[in-house]
Amino acid sequence: MKITLSINLGGYSFNIDEDAYDELRAYLRKLEQHFAGEESSSEILSDIETRIAEIFRTKLTGYRQVITMQDVNEAVSILGNPEVIGESTGPSAGEKFSTPGYHRMYRDPDNRILGGICSGMGAYWHIEPWIIRVLFFVLTIAGGLGILVYLILWVVLPEARTTAQKIEMKGDPVNIENIKESVKKEVENVRKKMNI
Amino acid sequence: MDIENTKAQMRKGILEYCILSILSGNSCYASDIIKGLKEGRVIVVEGTLYPLLTRLKNAGLLSYRWEESQQGPPRKYYELTPDGEKYLGELDGSWSELVESVQLLRKNKTNK
Repeated sequence: MKITLSINLGGYSFNIDEDAYDELRAYLRKLEQHFAGEESSSEILSDIETRIAEIFRTKLTGYRQVITMQDVNEAVSILGNPEVIGESTGPSAGEKFSTPGYHRMYRDPDNRILGGICSGMGAYWHIEPWIIRVLFFVLTIAGGLGILVYLILWVVLPEARTTAQKIEMKGDPVNIENIKESVKKEVENVRKKMNI
Repeated sequence: MDIENTKAQMRKGILEYCILSILSGNSCYASDIIKGLKEGRVIVVEGTLYPLLTRLKNAGLLSYRWEESQQGPPRKYYELTPDGEKYLGELDGSWSELVESVQLLRKNKTNK
């Protein structure tokens, strides 16, 4: 004996086995991710749901009342897995989320002494922050210009808060891979600081 | 080189053209379009169709209306727009050219 769930698929009501439900939900989620970058993705998904509902209805003839795992697997093979559905328009899935390596100057809150201006500029130009700090110091001594420039930059430059911004600060493309790497590094840093 | 991939690319290339051709002069449901494409063995999985239909609609080449159905929720009933017919006409010309070129190349090959 199995537990069944009652679902609304494309406006039709179905009784579906619990394990079949899990499978179906996982499939719909994969499709959702696949079409995430596409405009009208919700319309596409809704059309696909309707089609799956049509397929299910053809299964429930005679004495059959419940959608089983076999029905779900059949529907999935008819509609196709995301890899086989293939790419819609644009760039491949991995690149869909990436910005083309925007290189922006931010204030770096993780490596700051005062406002993160020197570390931010260092990240942008890929040079050590202390070089910039020395520069500011020299400018300050020679007429106070350094302080003025520093304060202006503090106001004007945004802080790199999100992981994506921190990546952009260094000029790397923002895609899933880089974000994963950055988050991993940050977790490692925290672990080291806390000696876990 | 993966021949299955090359074949898939060929099919993918003509998919839009096939969809527009099916709809030319006959309005129909998505499932009818699928049937036509499957019979022509142009489509392998149905999932490929839906993003295309939506894109063609967004480009103004197709339109649809909702048709009531006695057995359940309303279904989309597709037809070509005037822009779509024009677009199809151009693709028809392009297709004929392609077929001619390929046939010529194949003939030259056997003549050598």
